[in-house]
Amino acid sequence: MSHLLEVRNLGKTYRSRKGWPWTPKSVAIEPLSFTLEAGEILAVMGETGSGKSTLAQIIGGVDTATSGEILLNGQKLHSNNYPQLCNNIRMIFQDSENSLNAHLNIGKQLEEPLLFNTQLTAAERQERVNLTLQRVGMLREHWEFYPHMLSSGQKQRVCIARAIILEPQIVVADEALVALDPSIRAQIINLMLDLQKDMGISYILVTHSPQIVKHIADKILILYRGKMIAFDKTDIVLEDTQQTYVQQLLHEHLKQNIQYNSDRSAKIAD
Amino acid sequence: MQLLDIRNLTVEMQTAHGIVRVLDKVNLQLTEGEIHSIVGESGSGKSLLAKAIMGFINPNWQVTADRLWWNGQDLLAMTPKQRRKITGRDMAMIFQDPNAYLDPNSTVEQQIVEAIPQGDVRGTFMRRRVDRKTRVKRLLHRVGIRDHESIMESYPFELSQGIAQKVSIAIAIAHRPRLLIADEPTTAMEPSTRLQIHRLLARLAVSQKMSVVLISQDVGSILPETKRLTLLYCGQLMETGPAHDILSEPAHPYTDSMLRMSLQTQQELPHKARLPTLPGSIPTLRHMPIGCRLGPRCPYAQKTCVKAPRATHDRQRVYHCHFPLLDSSS
Repeated sequence: MSHLLEVRNLGKTYRSRKGWPWTPKSVAIEPLSFTLEAGEILAVMGETGSGKSTLAQIIGGVDTATSGEILLNGQKLHSNNYPQLCNNIRMIFQDSENSLNAHLNIGKQLEEPLLFNTQLTAAERQERVNLTLQRVGMLREHWEFYPHMLSSGQKQRVCIARAIILEPQIVVADEALVALDPSIRAQIINLMLDLQKDMGISYILVTHSPQIVKHIADKILILYRGKMIAFDKTDIVLEDTQQTYVQQLLHEHLKQNIQYNSDRSAKIAD
Repeated sequence: MQLLDIRNLTVEMQTAHGIVRVLDKVNLQLTEGEIHSIVGESGSGKSLLAKAIMGFINPNWQVTADRLWWNGQDLLAMTPKQRRKITGRDMAMIFQDPNAYLDPNSTVEQQIVEAIPQGDVRGTFMRRRVDRKTRVKRLLHRVGIRDHESIMESYPFELSQGIAQKVSIAIAIAHRPRLLIADEPTTAMEPSTRLQIHRLLARLAVSQKMSVVLISQDVGSILPETKRLTLLYCGQLMETGPAHDILSEPAHPYTDSMLRMSLQTQQELPHKARLPTLPGSIPTLRHMPIGCRLGPRCPYAQKTCVKAPRATHDRQRVYHCHFPLLDSSS
């Protein structure tokens, strides 16, 4: 049986602009392999400069790898095969403010991936956009809105709508939950989990919040200076007390909890 | 004696759609050497409160207060010059993005030297130069940078976020202020860097007898050493009081839901379960609800919530709610 996504010996090196042809290249990601199944959430963790964003961008098709290959459902993924890439893997970026086009209204913005990747007619496209807007908890009236008229949470919802409109199998979220307010962040996490339940999407979540990872991730991949030092199921990685770096990254922060008894009142639902 | 005493601070903004009240009767008391956390989501006016204290005020804002006292002196009655003198001597502020706040054109050393007060170094030209250099080194050591040689010579773009934030703290404490306002100093940082900055701020508060006002978005990311906590929502004061009491027994529905939403408090929640959250989104300035501004999102809201609730004083804490979760009799 083939996996949904299989990454084999994927590596990325950069040649610096200065230096001789034989000066060693700087390594962003050392060759690494991992697999992802349908309906799973994979969390990619690591500190700044560990290559986690590069990895997300390579999988999302924004960047190309220098070695190794990515297999999607057993088929090799080419970075220039746009229909295959766009229909199956979509990205959400960190800054929803800047990743939307300020000149287009929300409807046109969501219509664009359909225009480029499907043969739907105008009426079908409109139907699909309306459906997707409702799916992410917005109204069909938002079609006419421009990004500056929306709040940050709604913009993030539009970004998610743009990612799921082609019904992909994998959504890569690059630090998508960092810049949000707590109440909006909880709403977006709920939305992502609901979408996963409805559509069976797999997520690759690049984040540095141990709490979020512990709560929603099925698997954790930890990068340290471009090297993969851990890849396993969440509870196994969390119980791993051998590696000091994993300890540093996860345990210290999970220990810092506020004492709070939550059974006192339970009226705040959902 | 109170170092900072604010009563009923109101800030009104002149916008194209009329006057909007962005801070509504906020109280804040601060004693020396105390860490006070202000928690609120975006648009809650927490940065505006800091700006009002520091006096960074736009001409079309109207700041009124029953009392805005610093160390027994009325800040609002002063001339701008007098006020600037006090602000410059006693207060300092650090911001969210240190790389944007530091000057990209000069080295770390030049920037810290600039912040050292003129009167602190005396003597001949050479003497002053050497003194300044040792002071910069000492400041860098105090904020936990051991490798002072290379850091002093580097430009802000060469520094990592954590180091840059430490440098900006070094600049802020160069004139030994009595109050440091930290406006979301760790929001976009990794957990390990955040921990370092938090430990540094807590240590400085103790060793320098400096009061720290820490502004933060999330109840989960406040300092464990926080003495008092204030929660703001859309410019209204929700709850204020000793941090320990509030965190263990919130009286206001907003505090309660903030604690529930923060993943730090959710230990027994099953894996991948839906998180509790407040419905709806934060209202914009143009569409502020009347009365209690939390009203439309509050799960406990009733008819009376269209009137702004009066303050309830319960021992050391104050909350504004018609239907508090706490029995004031108990």
